[in-house]
Amino acid sequence: MLEQLVDGIFWDIALVVFFAGIAWRIVDVIRRPGRNDLAESRNSGISGAIMANIRGFFPRREISPRIRIHVIAGYMFHLGLFILLILAAPHVKFIEEHITGFGWTAMPYGVFVITAMISFAGLILLWIHRLLNPVSQLISRRGDHVATTLVFFVMLTGCMALAESSTGLRLFHRFTVELLMIYFPFSALMHAIMFVPSRAYTGSLFGRRGVKL
Amino acid sequence: MASETNTKSARMRKTVYFSILSLLIVLALPLIPYAFDALAVDVKQNKEDKLVALQSPAINLWNDVRQRNGKIEGTSQVKSVDSGILINKTGEDWRRFRLEILVPYGAYLMAGILGAIILFYLVRGKTLISGGRSGERIPRFTLNQRTAHWFTAGVFWLLAITGLILLYGKFVLIPLLGAEGFSITAAACKEMHNLFGPLFLLAVLAMLILLVKDNFFKLVDLKWFAKGGGMFGGHVSAGRFNAGEKTWFWMVMIFGIALGISGLILEFAILGQGREVMALSHMFHGISALILISVSFGHIYLGTVGVEGTLESMTTGSVDAAWAKEHHDLWYKEMTEDSETIVSADKNTQSGIAQSGIASPDTGG
Amino acid sequence: MSTALERGVDMLKSQVDARVESYFSSCTRCGVCAEACLFYTETGDPRYTPIYKTEPLRKVWQNEHTLWGRLSTSLGLGESMTEKDLSDWEELVYDGCSMCSRCSMVCPVGIDIAYLIRKVKEGMAAAGFVPEGLQASSERALEFGSPMGLTAQSLRAATTALEKEHGIDIPIDVAGAEYLCMLSSSEVVLYSEFIAAISKIFSAAGVSWTLSSKYFEATNAGVQMGNSRIAAQLIERIVEVATELKVKTLISPECGHAYTTIRWDAPNILGRALPFNVVHIMELLDQLRAEGRLKTTGSFDERLTYHDPCNISRRGGVLTQPRHLLNQVAPNFVEMHETMEMNWCCGGGGGVSSNERAEPLRLKVFNIKKRQLDELNVTTLVTACSNCRTMLEEGMEENDMDISVVGITEIIADHLA
Repeated sequence: MLEQLVDGIFWDIALVVFFAGIAWRIVDVIRRPGRNDLAESRNSGISGAIMANIRGFFPRREISPRIRIHVIAGYMFHLGLFILLILAAPHVKFIEEHITGFGWTAMPYGVFVITAMISFAGLILLWIHRLLNPVSQLISRRGDHVATTLVFFVMLTGCMALAESSTGLRLFHRFTVELLMIYFPFSALMHAIMFVPSRAYTGSLFGRRGVKL
Repeated sequence: MASETNTKSARMRKTVYFSILSLLIVLALPLIPYAFDALAVDVKQNKEDKLVALQSPAINLWNDVRQRNGKIEGTSQVKSVDSGILINKTGEDWRRFRLEILVPYGAYLMAGILGAIILFYLVRGKTLISGGRSGERIPRFTLNQRTAHWFTAGVFWLLAITGLILLYGKFVLIPLLGAEGFSITAAACKEMHNLFGPLFLLAVLAMLILLVKDNFFKLVDLKWFAKGGGMFGGHVSAGRFNAGEKTWFWMVMIFGIALGISGLILEFAILGQGREVMALSHMFHGISALILISVSFGHIYLGTVGVEGTLESMTTGSVDAAWAKEHHDLWYKEMTEDSETIVSADKNTQSGIAQSGIASPDTGG
Repeated sequence: MSTALERGVDMLKSQVDARVESYFSSCTRCGVCAEACLFYTETGDPRYTPIYKTEPLRKVWQNEHTLWGRLSTSLGLGESMTEKDLSDWEELVYDGCSMCSRCSMVCPVGIDIAYLIRKVKEGMAAAGFVPEGLQASSERALEFGSPMGLTAQSLRAATTALEKEHGIDIPIDVAGAEYLCMLSSSEVVLYSEFIAAISKIFSAAGVSWTLSSKYFEATNAGVQMGNSRIAAQLIERIVEVATELKVKTLISPECGHAYTTIRWDAPNILGRALPFNVVHIMELLDQLRAEGRLKTTGSFDERLTYHDPCNISRRGGVLTQPRHLLNQVAPNFVEMHETMEMNWCCGGGGGVSSNERAEPLRLKVFNIKKRQLDELNVTTLVTACSNCRTMLEEGMEENDMDISVVGITEIIADHLA
């Protein structure tokens, strides 16, 4: 019965809430009337917006020494998670069967495991740093910890189900994923999508002024 | 014609009798030497009056196969690890070690140390800072050191719990969850244990790099041991880390690296390890784990409930000056030579490090 | 009659636009912005974390525009705004932030935090939580046309003295001139050599220019305070005199926020394009140099470096021009290790210099500038903003540093062919 719920109605609810929620958040931002910048620009704002999105992935040399743990642990976690989502064999199979109808070559099992280790290490380091650094101690909100915990549980249940030998463990993993999908659009996790317009706005402002963000 | 009929049946009777007799003689013939043998044995016994063991001709072969007289390896068409060993008794040794030594003695060790700590706490209570807090703070651990510590601690506990479930679950959890339920738990724990294991090795190495500088034993540590760490009254001197802390550090390094390496051998069993290597690794792994877990109870006790003012060193990164003076007087002297180091506790500077002239928490160490 | 809190919250609500939405939706509280802010790095006080300074606006956004916020507010469980949310933030926003935008350059998700601070200030100003010094500057600006209370007479007195001293001609109120040069009151009172310098340069280069006695003030206390209404009023005065004098181009002088305000913000504050071009004095000088109209001779041999005024360089985009100009006359020009759009703020921008209460903090955060200069072993520091100049000089004095601070226009003028 649990299998029917998790694989069935909960999944449908999660999908709807996830996509509708994200769409609603995006529309909420872009529906406001845009105000054109009336000052004469030096350079193209659009190219500023695009370049800011690209350059934003690389920290500036001047600040790099101060933010090493943010960058290293941050990329360990984010890149690791992204690779796991897209290239891990069970996920490729799932995507093929339930979403796209086509799949692609998955990464070898050993690479899967090592990527998972790197991703976990990154997440744990980031969370510990968030708890210890006086800046993030002050500014972190409950939602940040909830999001971290939820993502951690998604990853942990995935790890538990790695042997793909137990239906119960697979359902546990899928259930935590569904919870995450429902939580996602109303949380700080939206940064995964909103960073694009955010970088674009700032990049275009500075770009028009001739400054590379 | 009666004589003819008589003759015919007579001849037939003769033939049959003769055939049966021939058959019997043929069958009985081999018994003759046996009879001789038996008679001869009787004769011999009568002569010498001794017992001789009757050995199965195959017994030597079986002893070799069973490896009773040491390892004997033959050859086989299959070329892989241990394929020349017909029946590997190392597995049995391994199983017996685990069930008869590791499980019970590990339990005694953990329970014993836990009990001793509880007893100690009930008798002695929390060790307070004598004279109370001074309100002034001294930086003790950098952000990197604290991050590494909590990362190591977190991963250690994930591994400890999953490892203990894998070791003791058979006895403790099967009654609760049933065999099938436990099999799922164990499968999940195995995957988690395997994933976090290598991270623990890296974490221990990180701790080594970050903290080894102040952890080498010096003369003052001998005195510290001699006085029992000051637990039974009296003052003991210590540098940044006292002898007990240094011992714990090296235990973690040695047993932690042993755990890591044995764990890697156990986890990546496709690298040509034979049964013996695996059994040895398991032994090291189990013993190191149970020792570390047991002594970690003491570390956690002293770092939290046991001694006032200790936990904040690893959470905020700084300690009260009075705590430093009492527990690490030599380090306190070193730190306060530079007058900028002591900072007043300021509600705005949570780590207390900010207003000192030393490097920011994110740099160095 | 609404309370201060109500006025503040209403104003903050009106400040939430698409940009604000995408910014607050992207923030993950990573804390990288703090590592770029001199108010945090030099004090270690996490309250000066840039994104933390925007809390009043974030709370309003959360309560009005997020699911959890709206739910909890309707259930009465939300984080409701109190007057403390505004009053406690006054010091953070006005003393502990110069709107230098260095944080905006490093945020991994591209939040323009200085933009958010500007909006927070609108709420603070509406509620009346503005530092006394800044309030007074605005009042003087509105009344006298100058935050220092200077009048047309003060200007004329200064220019007459300069004309006599240097034997130059300083045109005032010349209709039809190509360029109208605005001034900051600091330049009239403290650094009047700037006025002499441009007179010499324009004369040599054959540039037709003028000052305005009716309204000469380039600075905008409304922008510093966060009051768009006052800001607009002050800008309108500039537009008025520029239109009256029928000039083609307005020159923004050696002043930071004056440039950003008139060049980049003014059309948007007024809601219409300006009827003239705007250049920073350095842009014009560099243009003259490129056209061959600015000839220099000799060299300024001191080992010197350049301090990038935040509003001119990072927020203004005038980055390479000072380098071209200095390379022309200064063979021993060395760059700071962190330079151009990543240079560190002098600590006094955004109204901090008008705020007496902020002086101890400002002098403390000067330490970053001290470290930058100690690395280079220079004798001279060149800059292009008179406010920066004052802040740098005060910081040097506080730290017994023997480095002279010079305006870039002055150096060029001293080496005219």
